[in-house]
Amino acid sequence: MAGKSGRSINAEQKITAKKLLFTWEGALIVLFILVNIFNMNISQSYTFANVLREMPKYLAEMFMVLPMAYILVLGDIDISVGSIVCLTGTLTCYISNAGAPFPIVILGCLAAGLICGVINGSIATSFPELPSMITTLGTQIIFRGIAEISLGGGGSVAYNNTKQIMPLSTKLGKTVPVIILVVLVIAIIFTVVLQLTTFGRSLYAIGSNKTSAFYAGVDVQKCRFIAYVLMGLMASMCGLFLTAYTYGANTTTGQGFEMEVIAMCVFGGIASTGGKGTLIGGIIAGLIITLLRIALGQANVNSQMILVIVGALLIIAVLIPGIKGKIDEMKKLRAAA
Amino acid sequence: MKRKVVSILLTAAMAATLLAGCGGSGAATEEAAPAAAPAAEEAAPAAEEAPKAEEAPAEEAAPAEEAGAEAAEAATGGSDVSGKTFAIVVKSAGNPYFKKAIEGFTEVIEGNGGTVVVKEPSAATVDAQITEIQSLISQGVDSISVAANDENALQATLQEAMDAGIKVNCFDSKVNADSRMTFCNQAGITEVGQALIDAVLDLSGGEGQYAILSATSQATNQNSWIEAMKSIQESDSKYAGLELVEVAYGDDEPQKSTDQAQALLSKYPDLKVICAPTTVGIAAAAKVLQDQKSSVKLTGLGLPSEMAEYIGADDAHSCPYMFLWNPSDLAKLAAYSSIALVNGEITGAVGDKFTAGDMGEYTLTDGGDGGSEIILGPPFQFNPDNIADWKDVY
Repeated sequence: MAGKSGRSINAEQKITAKKLLFTWEGALIVLFILVNIFNMNISQSYTFANVLREMPKYLAEMFMVLPMAYILVLGDIDISVGSIVCLTGTLTCYISNAGAPFPIVILGCLAAGLICGVINGSIATSFPELPSMITTLGTQIIFRGIAEISLGGGGSVAYNNTKQIMPLSTKLGKTVPVIILVVLVIAIIFTVVLQLTTFGRSLYAIGSNKTSAFYAGVDVQKCRFIAYVLMGLMASMCGLFLTAYTYGANTTTGQGFEMEVIAMCVFGGIASTGGKGTLIGGIIAGLIITLLRIALGQANVNSQMILVIVGALLIIAVLIPGIKGKIDEMKKLRAAA
Repeated sequence: MKRKVVSILLTAAMAATLLAGCGGSGAATEEAAPAAAPAAEEAAPAAEEAPKAEEAPAEEAAPAEEAGAEAAEAATGGSDVSGKTFAIVVKSAGNPYFKKAIEGFTEVIEGNGGTVVVKEPSAATVDAQITEIQSLISQGVDSISVAANDENALQATLQEAMDAGIKVNCFDSKVNADSRMTFCNQAGITEVGQALIDAVLDLSGGEGQYAILSATSQATNQNSWIEAMKSIQESDSKYAGLELVEVAYGDDEPQKSTDQAQALLSKYPDLKVICAPTTVGIAAAAKVLQDQKSSVKLTGLGLPSEMAEYIGADDAHSCPYMFLWNPSDLAKLAAYSSIALVNGEITGAVGDKFTAGDMGEYTLTDGGDGGSEIILGPPFQFNPDNIADWKDVY
């Protein structure tokens, strides 16, 4: 496959253990192990039980890493997701406080996310020439605006019937939070769909070269639409679980999530220019960032320093392919001379 | 081959960043991390306290003798907490008000032999506070004192902490009754509301338009003070001439507060007074008013050190007087009540009594929300006469 796709989408790849280790994902797995060793050294409290207990808040963001990978592979971006989290979280509280039974609350929340996704998708597919960064910036402001209007002057809403939403934040056998299992199942589905189905390959094809994908018979706009709708849906999952953990929503709910999610994807090797990366990389990268933040927090490293570290990781992840390209170029020049 | 280079580069760079990044938290960690020895585990918490120990003397310098005496007195009073760890979680980092609070808290706890863990979330959101508190539960601290960014959102997390045997109190901004054992209130809500509305009445000359420049729209205490101001204004006819034109939100960010103050001035040409019940908002508004030589007067709650150059009775100054309590005293009260909770002197029930070092005896009263609270005292007025004494204090 020509074009800017560095990763071949040719199915006939020979996979050997050595090859696997020297892919981005392989490097991430090594890094994952290194990070864990590092974490155990800096924090006495870095135990399996503690990590499991601290994970859920970060895992809520993992819901959004999955469809965000689709959107990035397409060469698009969606920065409205933090606002969708805020809006759906707010609606969840209002629906429940109005006396609705729990299944209706969940359906209402997911429906709201779906609608947000449909709005994003419709705009993106109706005006494909517009950069998605700008259109979703617009909807980001609109969605948060709607949430803030409905939250009113107080700026926050409490989930009154806390017993009702507790099943989402409980732990199976008092150790394994339910959210882990839910994330796991959805992550497997998303990974399989992206890496093994025709739809998944269409996404890579579109991200590599939209025009050639179109002439090869891929329904470009339909694929983009589906990706945005999935994004909205998963953002509402995040909103739902976040509500379960905070018993409410406020105007800052989900603030900055879009950038954290995009950071996890990019660190996982999913290029924002499209056509590159795998979801497995994104998930491992998400876990690495999460575990690192947990351990640094336990070691009482101040929160700004944690941001700096995560930011530095991201820059390095983005720079490495560039540096590699420069080195290759210099080699070529030398060979020519 | 390419991949090999990539992955080696990545791993090396990563390891380097981790070590370098961690070193930022204190000199001791820098040595500890590469060593990867068991010693590192002990070094990490110790490293965190190093910078705090440096900060403390700055404030303690003057009343050093008092502090020493106080520590001795407290120790004999049976409030020795050696080996116990007390955590303080503030709203966000970079806020001078909470810097003072942290200093006061640290002074009391360390004076009684305890260890302090400071958590300053990177953003003023509940999400950030939840992760900080979760981390404290993992560390197994003995007590958590939190200034909450939202009244209800910390409930699940703080209940988890209390289930784990950790004593939880809050100061400055409360959490709901189910999430706490007690609340150290800087001033009764009505007392602050009364002081602010009286100041507005005084500065406006008895009638006219005024506006409020607040923090975020969901800031718990700002909202309750504003509500108190409104209800006091409605309840007494002497405030009938006042008109509240807008409550603007500067989100406790200097730039946004400045923009909001400017917007208020251009929207309401007849505006007489701006009341900013937040330290960031009042400082931003003071600068706007003074720079523009506006006739609009300012009052509210502000830090003396930040407001000193704007406080004055003449027209060259934008703020004739303002109020605040001592954040350091408030945090000291939080520290003493944490010690009392950890030592089992109080349980958080209304009517419990404890001695807060040299601050005297305090009684837990009904907070009006089903939980107990401890009121520090009435707000303190800073005016041209006393600002010079206070501006170097905090």
